[in-house]
Amino acid sequence: MSLNRRLLVAASVVLFVFLGLTGLVLDNAFQNSAEQAQRDRLQSQIYALLATADFVEIDQRLQLGDALPEPRLGSPQSGLYAVIYKSHKGVVWKSPSSVALDIPRYTRAKRAKWYYEPLVSKSGKQFFSLSFTGVWEDRFKKQFEYVFQVLEDYAIYNKQVASFRHELWGWLAAVAAVLLLAQGLILRWSLQPLRKVASDIEAVKKGSVDRLKENYPLEIQGLTESINTFIDSERAQRDRYRHTLADLAHSLKTPLAVLKTGLHGQDKVLDDQIDHMRNIVNYQLQRASSAGRTTMGVHTPLLKVVERIISSLEKVHAEKTIQCIVKVDSDLKFPGEQGDLMELAGNLLENAYKWAQQKIQVSASIKYVNNKRYLNINVEDDGSGIPENRKQEVLLRGRRADETVAGHGIGLSIVQEIVSQYGGHISLNDSSLGGASILLSIPLE
Amino acid sequence: MRILLIEDEDTLREQLAAVITEAGFIVETASDGKQGLFQGQEYPFDLAVVDLGLPKLSGIEVIQGWRSKGKDFPVLILTARGQWQEKVEGLEAGADDYMVKPFSEEELLARIRALLRRATGWSQSQLQCGDIVLDLTSQAVSQCGQSIEMTAYEYRILEYMMLNSGKVISKTELTEHIYHQDFDRDSNVIEVLVGRLRKKIDPANDIKPIETLRGRGYRFVLPRAV
Repeated sequence: MSLNRRLLVAASVVLFVFLGLTGLVLDNAFQNSAEQAQRDRLQSQIYALLATADFVEIDQRLQLGDALPEPRLGSPQSGLYAVIYKSHKGVVWKSPSSVALDIPRYTRAKRAKWYYEPLVSKSGKQFFSLSFTGVWEDRFKKQFEYVFQVLEDYAIYNKQVASFRHELWGWLAAVAAVLLLAQGLILRWSLQPLRKVASDIEAVKKGSVDRLKENYPLEIQGLTESINTFIDSERAQRDRYRHTLADLAHSLKTPLAVLKTGLHGQDKVLDDQIDHMRNIVNYQLQRASSAGRTTMGVHTPLLKVVERIISSLEKVHAEKTIQCIVKVDSDLKFPGEQGDLMELAGNLLENAYKWAQQKIQVSASIKYVNNKRYLNINVEDDGSGIPENRKQEVLLRGRRADETVAGHGIGLSIVQEIVSQYGGHISLNDSSLGGASILLSIPLE
Repeated sequence: MRILLIEDEDTLREQLAAVITEAGFIVETASDGKQGLFQGQEYPFDLAVVDLGLPKLSGIEVIQGWRSKGKDFPVLILTARGQWQEKVEGLEAGADDYMVKPFSEEELLARIRALLRRATGWSQSQLQCGDIVLDLTSQAVSQCGQSIEMTAYEYRILEYMMLNSGKVISKTELTEHIYHQDFDRDSNVIEVLVGRLRKKIDPANDIKPIETLRGRGYRFVLPRAV
């Protein structure tokens, strides 16, 4: 799972749990406060009723004033109802709003006590009920108890709560969406340097840049510096290795040159053996120093190297007046070190200049085989070509350098060795120019 | 023809110098880049053979040094490493050909002769002016198919004159290119040699191949056969 996805999933889970709990707590708090408000409202209705109630001693009854304290008590089925009971006996008064309604009776009553309770009528209608028992005395100290009960339709409370919930969860959902979006953007922004490192490493692999740039955030600078150090040390090591091999070649071949010159061509066997040793040294050292494909891929512009080799060879073969046609796009790149490309192009073109009569053609293109990209380099000449029966032999020599004949084929065997280190292949064909056509196919990925 | 050989390996330098001398050239040697650069800048040479891996100054730096001073004699580089990178750098620095060690002496001499020929505008190893033919490889001279016997110095003078046919060649130049640099330049030995050469290639004194330009030197006047 990608870092981005991990962070996003984890943060989303935490966000949903947090917002869910917040919603539940708020919902609960609202319900409590709504119930408390309900109770307070009912209590104030009872107080108002108590205020209008008057005990008539003569009749020994409770009398309410003409004007009701709350208009809703006067309009039928308004949702607010009031009933006055004579203690543990029947109803003495009912608010006009409760006309034709089945109002459930309180369940508990005690002198000077408030009882708040939810009640259900026989028809199943729900109410909040608050009851209070008031006591009146006549002048003979006889006490009369009346129970004041005020009820409010549960639906009103329900409607309030539902409306609150609707608002609450709506807002929470909006907040969640905004937070998720913000979180996504923050993640994207914060992880951008990592994505940049990845794309820069890819660029280094493709060879379009040498090393990672320096302007990364502090947290990943350690990583990018380490990668740069790794790239540098890999290159330095390769250079050192190559130099060591070149020095080795120098120190092996100079004594061979002394031996060969000292012989003055008088001892054929020794002379052949010296050529033999030279070829082994050439082939094996070239083979060892060829970098092949590397992880931190280096790419070399093809055309530039081909042109340098051609202008060098034109100088050497100035007398042959050979026309060299180059069909290489300037944006084509060889997927390896310049040294390897120089060996490939140098050996192929040297052979071509050696055998050509008048014309050489170098062409390069990108070809797709089984969805894989290949760089094809073709060097053709109008010389005598390679006879069919010798083609295989020329290539086989590459694998058996110790059997190579002096001065012939060693160049091609080095080419074949380098090409195979890059996972490519070489094929020898007949050119339309009349001579040999040597095609190198080097995979690009 | 004077050749400068710069090679740091003593045995190889001595061997090569012997091979080149035996082939009829005058050889001066240097064992490091600095000395070689100096010699090439100070003395006239017809060609230089330069090893690329030299102490003090690399072969490439030596060639660059000469070229920047306008020295345009042909340069043959010797490389032990045999890498194309090195060959191309050498040729780009101003060298004209390369050889990878070890090489046969015949190949070295063939390359030296070819470079000398090319530098003077000849395309074949047989130089022909009028009816005189000089073979650079076998060092044989013939006239109308008849071979002419020559001493080493006579041959060197004729070779230098024919390679540079049509050009005015001063006595000093001739001395410098056919003798070692410690030769006594005041002697009139050149005049004696040219006189002997004239008698050999123009005994009847009718074709007059070598013209004397008073106070300036000589000119080989027979036209080059194309």
